[in-house]
Amino acid sequence: MKLRFNKTVAAVTSSAVLLMAAPTVGVVSASAGSVPTYTIGYQGPLSGSYAYLGQYMYYGALVAINNANAGTKFGKLPFKLKLARFDDQGSSTIAPSQAQAAIQTRSLVAIVGPAFSGATEASEPYYSKAHMPTVSPSATAAALAKGARNNFMRVVAGDDVQGAADANFLVKTHHVKSLVVINNGSFYGAGLAAVVSKQAKKDGAKVTNYTDPTTGSCGGTASTTQYAATATQIMAAHVDGVYFGGYYCGFGLLLGALSSAGYTGTIMSDDGSWSTGLFSDTTPPTAANGVYVSEAGGGNANLTGKLASQFQKLSHQKAQGATYAAQAYDATNMIIKAMLSIKRSPNIKVLRGQLVVELHKMTFKGVTGTIHFQGNGDLSRNSIVEFAQANATTKTFKVVGHS
Amino acid sequence: MSRVTLALRSPTSRRLLTSLAAMAVVALMTGPSGSATQPMVGPTGSFGEHVSIFGLFPGPRWLLFFLFALVMWGIWTFWLRRGTSLRAAASTLATPPKRAFAHRPVRWVFYVALIGVGVVFPHLVTSQYWQSVMVEQIAVFVLLALGLNVVVGFAGLLDLGFVAFYAIGAYATAWVTGSLPTPAPFGVHLNPFFAIPVAIALVMVAGVLLGTPTLRLRGDYLAIVTLGFGEIITIFANNLYGITGGSYGSGGVTGKHGIPHFSINLGPIHYRWTLNPVPYYYLILVFVVIFIVAFSLLEHSRVGRAWTAIREDEVAAESVGINPLKYKVMAFAIGAASAGFAGVMTAAQSIFIFPATFTLQVSINILALVIFGGMGSIAGVAVGAMVIQTGSMYLLHSPPSGYQPADLYMYLGALLMVTMIFRPMGLIPSRRRRREIVLTEAGEGHMNEVLSGENP
Amino acid sequence: MGAFGHFLVSHFATLRLEFWGLLVGGVANGLIYGMVAVGYTLVYGVLRLINFAHSEIVMTGGFTSYFVLRGVIGTSIPNGWATVGILVVGMVAGGVSGAVMAMLVERVAYRPLRRRRAPQLAYLISAIGASYFLFNLAGKEFGRVLLSVPQPYVNHPIFSVFGAPVQLYYLVIVIASAAMLLGADQFVGRTRLGRGLRAVAQDSETASLLGVDVNRTIALTFALGGALGGIGGFLLGLGTGVVYTMGFVPALKAFTAAVLGGIGNLRGAMIGGLLLGVVESLSIAFVQPAYIDVVAFGILVLVLLVRPTGILGERLGRAA
Repeated sequence: MKLRFNKTVAAVTSSAVLLMAAPTVGVVSASAGSVPTYTIGYQGPLSGSYAYLGQYMYYGALVAINNANAGTKFGKLPFKLKLARFDDQGSSTIAPSQAQAAIQTRSLVAIVGPAFSGATEASEPYYSKAHMPTVSPSATAAALAKGARNNFMRVVAGDDVQGAADANFLVKTHHVKSLVVINNGSFYGAGLAAVVSKQAKKDGAKVTNYTDPTTGSCGGTASTTQYAATATQIMAAHVDGVYFGGYYCGFGLLLGALSSAGYTGTIMSDDGSWSTGLFSDTTPPTAANGVYVSEAGGGNANLTGKLASQFQKLSHQKAQGATYAAQAYDATNMIIKAMLSIKRSPNIKVLRGQLVVELHKMTFKGVTGTIHFQGNGDLSRNSIVEFAQANATTKTFKVVGHS
Repeated sequence: MSRVTLALRSPTSRRLLTSLAAMAVVALMTGPSGSATQPMVGPTGSFGEHVSIFGLFPGPRWLLFFLFALVMWGIWTFWLRRGTSLRAAASTLATPPKRAFAHRPVRWVFYVALIGVGVVFPHLVTSQYWQSVMVEQIAVFVLLALGLNVVVGFAGLLDLGFVAFYAIGAYATAWVTGSLPTPAPFGVHLNPFFAIPVAIALVMVAGVLLGTPTLRLRGDYLAIVTLGFGEIITIFANNLYGITGGSYGSGGVTGKHGIPHFSINLGPIHYRWTLNPVPYYYLILVFVVIFIVAFSLLEHSRVGRAWTAIREDEVAAESVGINPLKYKVMAFAIGAASAGFAGVMTAAQSIFIFPATFTLQVSINILALVIFGGMGSIAGVAVGAMVIQTGSMYLLHSPPSGYQPADLYMYLGALLMVTMIFRPMGLIPSRRRRREIVLTEAGEGHMNEVLSGENP
Repeated sequence: MGAFGHFLVSHFATLRLEFWGLLVGGVANGLIYGMVAVGYTLVYGVLRLINFAHSEIVMTGGFTSYFVLRGVIGTSIPNGWATVGILVVGMVAGGVSGAVMAMLVERVAYRPLRRRRAPQLAYLISAIGASYFLFNLAGKEFGRVLLSVPQPYVNHPIFSVFGAPVQLYYLVIVIASAAMLLGADQFVGRTRLGRGLRAVAQDSETASLLGVDVNRTIALTFALGGALGGIGGFLLGLGTGVVYTMGFVPALKAFTAAVLGGIGNLRGAMIGGLLLGVVESLSIAFVQPAYIDVVAFGILVLVLLVRPTGILGERLGRAA
């Protein structure tokens, strides 16, 4: 907090000269003799429109790092741990730069993230070249898990699992006969919506697909027209179910429009909408009452007990409903455990490539369930998809079932 | 009461009030960021938070910025008294190097030395982050700025949709190399080298198609129409899943391979570019030099003089037989060419491309580079692009507290405004513009002409 | 026409309801566009320049009324006269802040250039800079997320038009914007200040010789346009919440509306806004919602190419 202004001024004025000094930037390594310091990076949105989702994960990871450093989780560590922030704003454009900043940080051994699917797609070529293990708490696009034995792993199920479960939940559990599937035009939303639409058709529902633009969601240029018009069309089509693939901001706009149009059918969205941000983005907030959301995290999706209070203290956010905080916590712990199994003596260095191999070998019991990766980085178990219902009065989500 | 108003109206107190207001804004800009849960943290923290004041003692931020305002006021007052003589002294100092630079051999030695520095540069900067930044964020943006400079600087047309040409170049590369859902031409997946002529041809056609109807419009209408064009290209790229891959971008999800790297297979010579940024750096460096030479030849050719004539007085230009529309369309197409080429580089270098990369913000970013560097000045634009892009990438890499990556556009917006108010000719004014200033000061130029920066 | 045929067949049963529903939404949106368009048209009429930063005046109005409403509305939802009172307070807050911001923009971004008699290009660039600076500053200060505006009423359908429900929110828009647009029209047409404004628009040098304070009149122009823009921001925010980028698209549409109606023409701006809102809303029956902005831009380009003076014709210098 100190010297904020001076730093900024220095940054701006000296930036031109800095090209010359650049080789020294970011070299953080252990000093000889003492315990080495290793860095684990978190890559995801920490500012911008998706900051809500990204910060849950960041603080989830931070809880894990703090507990490991304090020795309460794995006993006394043979190294010190640091959590570095790589704020990609969830954007596939900024992501490659942040990935390369992470790669050139010498003490950095693994990444928790990247958080968003599009950003992951854009960063992975760089990470895989650097043999950097990346354990994502939330990148769910089905297509991300491609190669065998790659450095990409995730502690959540892919969209193919979640989308199919969501469609079944709507059509089979809630007997929705005609469904409108909307996506927000993002990498993530479009992929998920496509799976939902396909499975719902297979289940026998009548499906119509719409695309609402990314420019209409919170990060872009909020436009009343699109959502109001979409709501009018939904009303006129007399459908009994609406599914939205995307993030809470766009979903909030849609809910507002649907509520003022008087829509009463079943409404559902995904994990991108499972955030307290949904309630501050919906006008009026009561329009979010009773809508369903889903998450493919598995098991117990929230940090509980002591972990919850630690999380709350760091983030000033409730752990209940903090999407993917538990997944980030598990991913971080898994990385630390893999590091411990490599660093059996003080002379052994933890290397990125080794960690990739080690993480693939492990079976880890975390708070979200047992984690073991397949060769392509997907979870090997059949992942459970959880469903929850929003309560606008308490601004929370109540779990109502699972697949 | 009236005495108070009078006192407030005196130039000195006015300058003090302006300094205070300016510093209050700077305090907000550099202060903590608000969030949805605490939307008032920004404004209150910006003034209330405790900081170290000049490293001497702790105090609230408002005190620090109050002191800054006093300093600013002092400098301002000093500048009003001594500014003219200081400026004269500076120009006397600058005269010998300027005169030396007028000799052709000296200039050539300087240019060769500059290229030499460019060649050894990646070996001085060994950080992988900065090496890749040099390619993706600096060299590519130098190309983009050079292109927009032809449109804005040479021809005086404000194009706010310049990113569209960049996008078309990138998507053309993905198409030619077979990474889009659209089948590649003739079903052959080519090396990105072949994408260069295709992309440049496509963007030039797009430039002519967009320019021919719209360049008849008034300047301000042109700005809005081009802005709309840029947005439409992005919307199409994001939604035509069957053609562009939609929001999935190229390759990846759609099951196609990523965009391949450049490669050369000429008889015994085989070379393949990889993710390593250094070879890309040299490839782009060659093209940057080519574009700079081409554009500066163009500037001093008949075409360049026609642009100047149109920019200064379209009616007069028309009366001496210059067809304004023809030359304006030409500027559009030629400027677009370098953006298209930048698109090829970005696509081949980054394997996947996403529509989210090509937003209006990028157009504004490029505009800021051109305006800051100096409209119409090739050297200025190139230096401006390097300075701003290096600064913004430094801030992304190691953000000072109170800075978020999204704040960049706040600074760029402020830069545009401040440049226009205080130094409209930019960092390094073009020689032609400088001459125009001299003419204006001598009372021979157009009173309204441009960007002289001084009161005529 | 294939799309149209498909639309007719598949939606035939619901066509009427959908048509009237879209029409109602379009009218409401169009009125907001009209209010924002007045700002463009007034400034254009007087200074011959597009106030690129007008979108941020809309945003300022939205944010100010958000904070005011957050302070005024408690936990319970008000009704009756309390609702009316809160709406008026919100409008005043949005209007005043919009006017102040517009005058500030004029003072900081335009007046130094005017003094220098800079070319049009310089104004445009300075205004774009001001716009980017302002909305990103707002994003930094208040977070880059949508903030839901506390509702002064329960937004339920009041009556229906051919089966399409009309919500209270739409009614508020219609009443507020109609009142504001009529007020602006009367102000410019009838009052002394309005006459001064028209005089400057016609010929600023002659006007200044005749004793009109040109600088003050220009500031007034910005203030009047800014007030309407700010109220437009309040109405937009009331419906969807406020976010730092909220001004951009509506302002661009409003500019289209101003051109459509004939720039510099106050009544043209209103008619253009209404027309654009309705056409845009109805177009959703034919295209995906994602392409709705393309429709608006398409209209803009078409008007500029075919009839650049707009429907009612340009009335530069006769800003009424």
